[in-house]
Amino acid sequence: MKRVLVILAVLIFLGIVLKACVRKDMPEDVSIDIKTPDLKEIVYPTDEKNVTINGIDYLQSQAPVGKFGGELVISTIGEGPKTFNPCNTKDATSSSMAGLMYDGLVTTNPRTGEVMPLLAKDIEINSNDYIIRLRHGIKWTDNKPITADDVMYTYNEIVFKGYGNPSTMDAMKVDGKLPELVKLDDFTVKFTTPRAFAPFLRQLSYPIVPKHYFKPYSDRGESVFNAFLTPDTNPEEIVSSGAFKLKEYVAAQRVVFERNPNYYKINLKDEKLPYLNKLVYLIVGDTNNEILKFEAKEIDALSLRGSNVAMYKIKEPNSDYVIYNLGPDTGTLFLVINLNNRRDKNCKPYVDPKKQRWFGNRDFRAAVDWAIDRESMVKNIASGVAEPLFTAESLNSIYLNKYIKGHPYDINVTKESLEKAGFKLKDGILYDSCGNRVEFDLYTNAGNLEREALGVMIKQDLEELGMKVNFKPVEFNSLVNKLTNTHDWDMAIMGLTGSPLEPHDGKNVWTSSGSLHMFNQRPANYNIDDRLDWEKELDEIFAEGAVKLNFEERKPIYDRYQTIIYNQKPIIYLYSPIRITAIRKKIKNIFPTSLSGLLYNLDEIYIDGGEK
Amino acid sequence: MLKYITKRILQVIPLLIIVSLISFFIIRLSPVDPLAELRLNPSISQETLDKEIKRLNLDKPIYIQYISWAKSFIKGDLGYTSAGEKVSVKLKERIPNTLLLTAIVIFMTWIVGIPLGILAAINKETAFDRMLTVISSIGMAIPSFFFAILLLIFAVKTGWFPVGGLTSYNFNEMSLIGKIIDISKHLVLPVIVLFTISLSGLQRQMRANMLEVLDSDYIKFARAKGLSESKVIFKHALRNAINPMITLLGFEFAGLLSGAALTEYVFQYPGLGRLILEAVMKSDINLVMASLMMGTIMLVLGNLIADILLMIADPRIRGAK
Repeated sequence: MKRVLVILAVLIFLGIVLKACVRKDMPEDVSIDIKTPDLKEIVYPTDEKNVTINGIDYLQSQAPVGKFGGELVISTIGEGPKTFNPCNTKDATSSSMAGLMYDGLVTTNPRTGEVMPLLAKDIEINSNDYIIRLRHGIKWTDNKPITADDVMYTYNEIVFKGYGNPSTMDAMKVDGKLPELVKLDDFTVKFTTPRAFAPFLRQLSYPIVPKHYFKPYSDRGESVFNAFLTPDTNPEEIVSSGAFKLKEYVAAQRVVFERNPNYYKINLKDEKLPYLNKLVYLIVGDTNNEILKFEAKEIDALSLRGSNVAMYKIKEPNSDYVIYNLGPDTGTLFLVINLNNRRDKNCKPYVDPKKQRWFGNRDFRAAVDWAIDRESMVKNIASGVAEPLFTAESLNSIYLNKYIKGHPYDINVTKESLEKAGFKLKDGILYDSCGNRVEFDLYTNAGNLEREALGVMIKQDLEELGMKVNFKPVEFNSLVNKLTNTHDWDMAIMGLTGSPLEPHDGKNVWTSSGSLHMFNQRPANYNIDDRLDWEKELDEIFAEGAVKLNFEERKPIYDRYQTIIYNQKPIIYLYSPIRITAIRKKIKNIFPTSLSGLLYNLDEIYIDGGEK
Repeated sequence: MLKYITKRILQVIPLLIIVSLISFFIIRLSPVDPLAELRLNPSISQETLDKEIKRLNLDKPIYIQYISWAKSFIKGDLGYTSAGEKVSVKLKERIPNTLLLTAIVIFMTWIVGIPLGILAAINKETAFDRMLTVISSIGMAIPSFFFAILLLIFAVKTGWFPVGGLTSYNFNEMSLIGKIIDISKHLVLPVIVLFTISLSGLQRQMRANMLEVLDSDYIKFARAKGLSESKVIFKHALRNAINPMITLLGFEFAGLLSGAALTEYVFQYPGLGRLILEAVMKSDINLVMASLMMGTIMLVLGNLIADILLMIADPRIRGAK
């Protein structure tokens, strides 16, 4: 009897404890307005100006004058940088850190997305000629001047030779030819592209490196160059130009930068920037640890995901941080349909001929599109922290076609389209005009919980129409192999990161010969012209868009491509996640933009208040 | 003795070959493609992809990849990671950190665990023994990662300990004493986790060995002879009960570099565990192979050390060889 009582008491105690836990962990149903981007209230005064003092061409920040000193501690997820060689970065962490240390000739205006001079004082464009005048009197961290020789060296001996990461070389090539580069004087160089090529200008953001420091390594061949400036390099010897220089790298723990006293940016009082004495990146392995570190006040900023947003938003009024909604990011999630109607080497069709008839029918694709309930996907899968997406360009792209408004979920439109395409519903099962049951496979990469959840929802949405969808999450590599090599798939849920600035970067996806033209992939060196009418038009659009230099001229061209994709629906876009970041209130001069995020202006950020 | 050691070392060679063959082929045959991410990047050209494939040797058949790896391994060259860093440098950065953690833990568990085991055996079935049994059962039952997470939450809520890592970001500006305090502060939580878990096992093992010996005829004889209890326990019982523990010590030696991987990961400790986990995920073959080889060598070496120690401790084994 006594024992029974004890067990009962323990059970009751446990019950109460668990109940308390459950209650605390479930976010109460508070309707939190996280959707309104609060970016408009904080607007950066005007663009930076060039100011010449004592013969030195400074770049003047127009942000309010701040306090010097202090340190900002932020985090980077993963294993930290792999290299500090700005020409050889292949991952995001390395390139953002090397980007702090080395400036390019131009940069992207974080607000408008236009190209603006950085290391260059100004740029004069006459059709195919780009005359670039450098700033006079600015120096590397070892006090040697930055001159045209460094620019000549960077392009001639690194970029054009394809050393390091060759993506800039790839992107600069016009019809397989590289631009020409001549030195006009010690502070002026001229690039000449083989013909007008709009994406070229943006490529000039490639970091300029000091010839006197890099040349001894690049002269010894590519493998020596690639192993140069690995993270274990002695920070003292590194010569750089950016706002911050490397102070310390501790493997798997942190990277510490300190202010570069030679930096050429000044504030409104003509004092040299940056304000921060130190910039510390803690290397954290995963997002959970990042959250703990933010909670323990070890880091000053945290990007929030999914259900965390609601929790942090509730706590915000009584906390030392502010939450910014930076709007949708460049990532896109989509459903791609295989329109391939070719045969493999053994004359076997990649896609079953009856399926080819369905997928090739625009009305069928439209039916699928209208049957997808994006609103509930955003609500249930992305915890509300996303925006439905209907365009091929991401929502923060400067080329976004604003006339494409999208459409709601409407099963009646779906039914009409299916009827128009000759499909018939019998006893809840959908048959095509030849009496075949509509059944196909839907792939995504296993392990990605978001995409798996999307797959389940799409399967449900489509099965309501009487289709049979076999949802098959497969290993990422097998999926890539199916998409790019074997072509034996029906539909797939995928995601790609796009560029919000340059639609031409998507040419591998959209042009008919592109290597990622997933929805109708042709083999390499395919010379039969079996392009669909709208594929031909896309090819023309991407050829034309690249040679038009003006934004105003290019915009309608790329608007047209988005309209084509929206109408033809080879790829059905689902949603874009919204970026939400919490940052401590003591950090000032924050001007968040949807293009560049929160911490793009590290040279203008300063610390005010707080205990540090 | 020397002959025996040489023989043992020579036996390692075929073992290494077998282990390396098996692991190399398993890694390479797994469907993880180190270039899958690149393939799906719209701005990467085919030439770039081909160049990467060539650089990582992926265009050659597996056996040629293995031979070229083995050749450089014999020469002592561990090669480069897929990101182009030297494997030896990467390992060198992490090994001291892991050694620091595991050495402290092993030292502490042995210093505490062996005496506790002996005490528990002598005071068998008293309140003290029962209490120890309960505590060590708890220690054995808690999964290490779960315990680690609990402690991390504790650190966040109280602010007494830093959340993971090994040093604070302003470590370099600290005085020597400050540095020692900083590192100790960071070590407390991971050490507690590993200590609790390995202590329980060790203590139980020692207790069981000791009980077995205490029950044997020669102890009864020694007691009957009228020897003092301390002499019975330390001179007769302990010498015999410690043999299995020496073998265990050999295994502990093998775990010096790899035993704490899970805890390291949860605490974001800059040791080998995190490095190797990431390498496996990305199929970074040179790094994975180097760590596997290291693990194998440590295991063999540990066993060898244990055998030698056993020979020193136990005249019976010495005689047999």
